[in-house]
Amino acid sequence: RSGSKHATTPADNYYLARRRTLQVVVSSLLTEAGFESAEKAAVETLTEMLQSYISEIGRSAKSYCEHTARTQPTLSDIVVTLVEMGFNVETLPAYAKRSQRMVITAPPVTNQPVTPKALTAGQNKPHPSHIPGHFPEFPDPHTYIKTPTYREPVSDYQVLREKAASQRRDVERALTRFMAKTGETQSLFKDDVSTFPLIAARPFTVPYLTALLPSELEMQQMEETDSSEQDDQTDTENLPLHMSTDDSGPEKENTSVLQQNTSLSGSRNGEENMIDNPYLRPVKKPKIRRKK
Amino acid sequence: MNRKKGDKGFESPRPYKLTHQVVCINNINFQRKSVVGYVELTIFPTVANLNRIKLNSKQCRIYRVRVNDLEAAFIYNDPTLEVCHHESKQRNLNYFSNAYAAAVSAVDPDAGNGELCIKVPSELWKHVDELKVLKVHINFSLDQPKGGLHFVVPNMEGSMAERGAHVFSCGYQNSTRFWFPCVDSYSELCTWKLEYTVDAAMVAVSNGDLVETVYTHDMRKKTFHYMLTIPTAASNISLAIGPFEILVDPYMHEVTHFCLPQLLPLLKHTTSYLHEVFEFYEEILTCRYPYSCFKTVFIDEAYVEVAAYASMSIFSTNLLHSAMIIDETPLTRRCLAQALAQQFFGCFISRMSWSDEWVLKGISGYIYGLWMKKTFGVNEYRHWIKQELDQIVAYELKTGGVLLHPIFGGGKEKDNPASHLHFSIKHPHTLSWEYYTMFQCKAHLVMRLIENRISMEFMLQVFNKLLSLASTASSQKFQSHMWSQMLVSTSGFLKSISNVSGKDIQPLIKQWVDQSGVVKFYGSFAFNRKRNVLELEIKQDYTSPGTQKYVGPLKVTVQELDGSFNHTLQIEENSLKHDIPCHSKSRRNKKKKIPLMNGEEVDMDLSAMDADSPLLWIRIDPDMSVLRKVEFEQSDFMWQYQLRYERDVVAQEEAILALEKFPTPASRLALTDILEQEQCFYRVRMLACFCLAKIANSMVSTWTGPPAMKSLFTRMFCCKTCPNIVKTNNFMNFQSYFLQKTMPVAMALLRDVHNLCPKEVLMFILDLIKYNDNRKNKFSDNYYRAELIDALANSVTPAVSVNNEVRTLDNLNPDVRLILEEITRFLNMEKLLPSYRHTITVSCLKAIRVLQKNGHVPSDPALFKSYAEYGHFVDVRIAALEAVVDYTKVDRSYEELQWLLTMVQNDPVPYIRHKILDMLTKNPPFTKNMESPLCNEALVDQLWKLMNSGTSHDWRLRCGAVDLYFTLFGLSRPSCLPLPELGLVLNLKEKKAVLNPTIIPESVASNQEPVNTTNNHGQLVGFQNTFSNSQEEEEIDMDTVHDSQAFIYHHLNMLERPSTPGKEQSSGEMNMHPVSAAPLSVFSKESNSSKHSDHHHHHHHEHKKKKKKHKHKHKHKHKHDNKEKEKDPFAFSNSPASARSIRSPSLSD
Repeated sequence: RSGSKHATTPADNYYLARRRTLQVVVSSLLTEAGFESAEKAAVETLTEMLQSYISEIGRSAKSYCEHTARTQPTLSDIVVTLVEMGFNVETLPAYAKRSQRMVITAPPVTNQPVTPKALTAGQNKPHPSHIPGHFPEFPDPHTYIKTPTYREPVSDYQVLREKAASQRRDVERALTRFMAKTGETQSLFKDDVSTFPLIAARPFTVPYLTALLPSELEMQQMEETDSSEQDDQTDTENLPLHMSTDDSGPEKENTSVLQQNTSLSGSRNGEENMIDNPYLRPVKKPKIRRKK
Repeated sequence: MNRKKGDKGFESPRPYKLTHQVVCINNINFQRKSVVGYVELTIFPTVANLNRIKLNSKQCRIYRVRVNDLEAAFIYNDPTLEVCHHESKQRNLNYFSNAYAAAVSAVDPDAGNGELCIKVPSELWKHVDELKVLKVHINFSLDQPKGGLHFVVPNMEGSMAERGAHVFSCGYQNSTRFWFPCVDSYSELCTWKLEYTVDAAMVAVSNGDLVETVYTHDMRKKTFHYMLTIPTAASNISLAIGPFEILVDPYMHEVTHFCLPQLLPLLKHTTSYLHEVFEFYEEILTCRYPYSCFKTVFIDEAYVEVAAYASMSIFSTNLLHSAMIIDETPLTRRCLAQALAQQFFGCFISRMSWSDEWVLKGISGYIYGLWMKKTFGVNEYRHWIKQELDQIVAYELKTGGVLLHPIFGGGKEKDNPASHLHFSIKHPHTLSWEYYTMFQCKAHLVMRLIENRISMEFMLQVFNKLLSLASTASSQKFQSHMWSQMLVSTSGFLKSISNVSGKDIQPLIKQWVDQSGVVKFYGSFAFNRKRNVLELEIKQDYTSPGTQKYVGPLKVTVQELDGSFNHTLQIEENSLKHDIPCHSKSRRNKKKKIPLMNGEEVDMDLSAMDADSPLLWIRIDPDMSVLRKVEFEQSDFMWQYQLRYERDVVAQEEAILALEKFPTPASRLALTDILEQEQCFYRVRMLACFCLAKIANSMVSTWTGPPAMKSLFTRMFCCKTCPNIVKTNNFMNFQSYFLQKTMPVAMALLRDVHNLCPKEVLMFILDLIKYNDNRKNKFSDNYYRAELIDALANSVTPAVSVNNEVRTLDNLNPDVRLILEEITRFLNMEKLLPSYRHTITVSCLKAIRVLQKNGHVPSDPALFKSYAEYGHFVDVRIAALEAVVDYTKVDRSYEELQWLLTMVQNDPVPYIRHKILDMLTKNPPFTKNMESPLCNEALVDQLWKLMNSGTSHDWRLRCGAVDLYFTLFGLSRPSCLPLPELGLVLNLKEKKAVLNPTIIPESVASNQEPVNTTNNHGQLVGFQNTFSNSQEEEEIDMDTVHDSQAFIYHHLNMLERPSTPGKEQSSGEMNMHPVSAAPLSVFSKESNSSKHSDHHHHHHHEHKKKKKKHKHKHKHKHKHDNKEKEKDPFAFSNSPASARSIRSPSLSD
């Protein structure tokens, strides 16, 4: 149980105290019934039963009261509950007043722990006029106010490159190791399969597709190299790379070349409609031939 | 074979002329891989008594043949199916090659032969005598073709179109007979009507114009109707059917491109360049593209990368690439240009006979070279020419020569012009693939030599003349006799040359075309100060195999202080020494610029040169106008000057190779300077990298400074602020891209004094990998990363092994551990983010094999075998197979060899099958002079079976098997076999036949033809039984009198002689011949055609003559055999009886 470790929390304390009280109750009832001693296990079981019973009463009573749209259970809720649970309510007063009953001292009431006052940081904002007063107050400003902080970006090119490189390497290694762990592997050493795990080669049904088509990453890169020229401010990942001056030049060329390409293909598409090529002609319907 | 020298006209070997052929394929079933259809040939007899029509057909099942609507009997016999009959115990390659050549001859359309022999129904004889038209209608089907047509059917869910299933025709040279009956010759031209009925979701691409596409009645299929009005040889007919994506070329609407589903974006990019190639060829040839349309189809599992057919080309889909790929772009463009060049010469203009092939290959290769020059520049062109020249020279010296224009005289077939080879060069189908590649290479180099002689202008005029003659002829719709103008012959071509240029190029042709071999020059010089003369000595080696003597002019260029001077020396029989007067005084003028060949004037630091001599460098045959290898001696400083200042890239490359022998600081400096010079041709700089690495290794004890090229690389490609980190990739400048790729590979070859790769270099390469950042690059870095892995592999040195301990992870060298770490990561990443053409996987596999071979990692083929499976990308498979081949050799593994050979037989991809044999031949597990546990009788039998009958569906594969057999066992009987005792005992009895198993094969070979026309009737039936169903048997029964006689005869004969002719001959009994000949002649008397029997007698006559010639040759061969066997005591001990017989020839001698 997790409670054993953190027995000091208030909730646990209550729990233990209640449990103790119930145990006392069970013991006294047993004494009342004439037992002189009981095995610990038996007492435990009875305590458990009693607790369940009381809990059920509480749960049921709560349900009944909620059923009638109230929040506080009333006596009638309890009565209904007891009836529902097959308990004869009539016998209760008599039982309560029985002579041989033992009185148990109420458990000592510890002081309610004082909830520490929330730290108030700054002035809570008053409601604006369009919000009715009964609505809860605004939370502390620090919970919703954005305070942009500008950390000096790491400008050391070398550090950045190193970081990027090791990051990528770590990701790749973790990813490939994961793939290798979860799938079939091959190994270069017979005695060791885990140090250099190779993801098993799996044949493709159409091998040329993966080999020829650019991978998604490459496609993405193509797009990135395209768009990076327009908004390099937001993309912090790109930032360090623009600091090396020798990179920015050719990229402009890149985009212009790409644009040319697209314009070219665009004009081509327009032309295609007018092209007379036998492969573009519609397929003819079969002629109904007269039988010879 | 039938070409008569000096004869202008074309004489058809056939007694008829084909004018039109219909090919109709009604049904193509991808699931069953079968094809059903018919052909209809329209032929005009040219002789009156034509009663048999021979056509080519292989693997087709022929249901029915009708001639002018009358049922016709036919016989199907294909001796190439099984070259030597399998009871035969002959195992020597000589025997096989002869038998194979004979078998190919027996069905060679250029000799008027064919596998399919159709009898003209007797009702039509009168019709034939009037030379009236015959229509031959043949219904056929193909079931699971193993060659000719290739089906690609991916194993997955969905309809065939969704799966991307496709089929295409393929093959080596004339292979059309594999998929429909035809006259499979390049010299029989006709017009075509082609019809293909395919699934509605598919497209059928074929030759000529697509006239219309019509749905079938159920609307589930459609029929593509093609018309090809330009007379075309059957061998140039092709077909591709698949769910292709269609792209009409935006620049030329007559051009349509096809690719497999999903690849359209790549197709757009790849073909966007094609129109420029068109423009170029049309401009230089001043001739429009001859066909009205052009189609390119990109298919998977291609037989060859480029295959050109009439008005269409079939390419490998792996040539497609996106705009991000640098390395593939020029390669693909070259393939496109090659294909297009062959459209003009090869498809439109065809050849008269096989011996004229060189003209077509030469011209198409030559104009392709012109395109290269224009597109990639003079440097690239000269580099290419040099490369091709080196290749052909190396090949000819290795094998003994490539003959472009073999002439086979009618009767003297025995004086084989290529006796040094283990195959016959009489037919394209018996040719080793490597030989054929080299043949093409030589052909275009010779065309270039002709250009050198008559000028490019005349050359192009000749081409134009050929083309315009052909196009005039092709437009003569109904005058088929004119069509022979579309065939080129050697004599016709030479005549055109002399007509146009008025020059006599006969000596040149005699030297390079009619004769094989290359020239080997050794040059050295001395400077005579007194006479101010350069004494040049040029020796030739013309005795080694593959060489020939050169007599004629030879250009020598001498760079002196005062400038560059050309001298033309006359190379004659006995003159070795040539005096060349020098122009400059040796006293050099101070501060004077030195003029170069190209008019440029440069400052040179002349301190290195010999003070007495004005010579800077000397070049022999700088224009490569002789097919030669030059070994020239000059001092190191001269090579250095040549490298620095000579502007010709070929000279620079030669200088670099020469400098390898001069590991001095001066060489180092010259190479480094070249490396840094950006104006310098990038290939030269790449070559300089490797040379620098070699020099550095030779100078290792005196080398100062950081490892070679490291600082250079740092300066060029690393960040200014942090020199250990490479810049983020930017490959906009291709020259520096190639250099950046190459330098680490060369650096990894550096070795320190312990012969290990310096730690610094390894760390440097690992850093390059680590900091490689391609995010901002427009281009893919897959080739770059692949080369970095190659660099890692290059850095590996043999493991220090302590008393042969087992390789485990624990004793792994820490450097190797780092390397392995990278390889593992790369290889695994490739599974998640595959690179273009999986270049990285390829490099990783190679690197792993290197690690295994060097003893760092336990040698194990399992990994490679899994990558070699069908379903991986072809490049990956080849790399993996190469590793398995290497493993087979190093570990002498019988199991792996068997595994490879099984794949040769069973793999679905023809290219892979071919490639395995090719790799085994290049890296053989053992060779003929080697003892190996792998060399045993079972293997011999297996390989024999493979080439004898297992590869009959693919010429290239069969020739590959022959090559392998030759490499493993040589020409004579493999040494691991016991000698054929039975045969030898018989030989002892009959002293005439003494030993020599080769005596019989050759007589069989020469005999094959007559045997085929007559005797084999019996055998034919046997063939048919195995190859056809009962239906056809019935047809045989319906045959006319003499055929049924043949049938009966055959059966009687079967009882009499249980063995087939092949076996009988193999037993080596000469005296059996008359026995077999007697019934033959009886039979031929009975056969009604007088012409045939004539033919027959003629052959017999010839046969006798041949026999006589044989003997002479045998003696010679015989000695050779003897020698070889003496070398091998093992053979003797095996069978003492045969040992005696081996000596017996001396008695007969």
